Amino acid sequence: MSPICSILRESFEDYLGDALPAPQRKMLREHLAACAECLGAAAAKDASFLFARPMPGEVAPDETARILLGVRAGVGHIETERRIGGARRRRFAGAAAAAAVALLVLTIPGGSDARREPGAAALPAPVPSPGTSAQAGSSFGLAPAGLAAEAALPSPGATVYDLNPGADRAEPRVVWIVDRGLDI
Amino acid sequence: MELVYSERLERKGLTELPDRELAIQARGGDMLSFETLVCRKTPAVVSLARRIVGNVEDARDVAQMVFLRVWKEIHRYDERYSLNTWLYRIATNLAIDFLRSARSREKAHGATLHLVREREESTAAGATRSAEDGELARLFEAVSGRLSEKQKAVFVLREMEDCDTKDIARILGCGESTVRNHLFNARRILRKEMVRLYPEFLRGRTPA
Repeated sequence: MSPICSILRESFEDYLGDALPAPQRKMLREHLAACAECLGAAAAKDASFLFARPMPGEVAPDETARILLGVRAGVGHIETERRIGGARRRRFAGAAAAAAVALLVLTIPGGSDARREPGAAALPAPVPSPGTSAQAGSSFGLAPAGLAAEAALPSPGATVYDLNPGADRAEPRVVWIVDRGLDI
Repeated sequence: MELVYSERLERKGLTELPDRELAIQARGGDMLSFETLVCRKTPAVVSLARRIVGNVEDARDVAQMVFLRVWKEIHRYDERYSLNTWLYRIATNLAIDFLRSARSREKAHGATLHLVREREESTAAGATRSAEDGELARLFEAVSGRLSEKQKAVFVLREMEDCDTKDIARILGCGESTVRNHLFNARRILRKEMVRLYPEFLRGRTPA
């Protein structure tokens, strides 16, 4: 037994109590990995000393490659899900915006003749603002069902904001119409 | 003809980058950097997972789950902190979850698995006669069965991976005193199990 062995054996207790400073701890671990006699003494004191060392790595390069392949496939799956989820969210947002616009239009008094109860007094005819087309379907000039949006412009001065220009036909078209000529 | 792009050369360049740089590039969506990181960290993650879940096959599955979780959560990675701590945190938590579900499966099929385990233990006892590093790993798998998931994770991180107590506390999301407590209890249980299962092994180790 060398002098270093006897010095290090005195630190077993501190090691077990997790009270050994990092450099001494490292030194003891390295020594135990190299000195079978001290490892025996340590294990006799506390069997858990046997495991106080890095265990050999079992990962061969081909195993790493296999894991990488699995990860690659998984990442592909995650990305596909993300794309599908994103498209769904966009579609949902478009539909929600369209519904909000429609609700806004219908809840404003005089917004639509169609929602008026039968027998109720007819609303006074809208006052056409200068230049408003007489063909407009309602006081807001929105197109009755079946007409193209372009035909429904309330007045030449109205502005149409297309919220999803160029979107494919599968997605709902969302437009915002600002007509300063309207008298609500 | 001039070589405009080569994945092999780019990958070679990436292998020289530190972990943090690779993680930052992966966070920006660079798949090559991420894959380089996977290759670099696989041995450590599999090794850690194996100590906790107890076998290589399951450890490989856990490692895959770890890297997929890393890819999903990479936007949360804060480069001010060590990548290893973050990675070990994910790996330890997933391995503990895996072990928990495996133990509940084991409870459901208790009788059959008990027989299998007895056979494994007798095989391990035979193997310990000439126990060296490889056998020690198997020995640990046999005697650590009575540790709780947290105790096992703390012991593996502290004794085998040589992590700092402070880092382990961060990895497991608990206090340093809790880590010391788990470590103390893990040692006590391991000591008892070694005496119970392999007394001859300890006698062989005791110096004259």
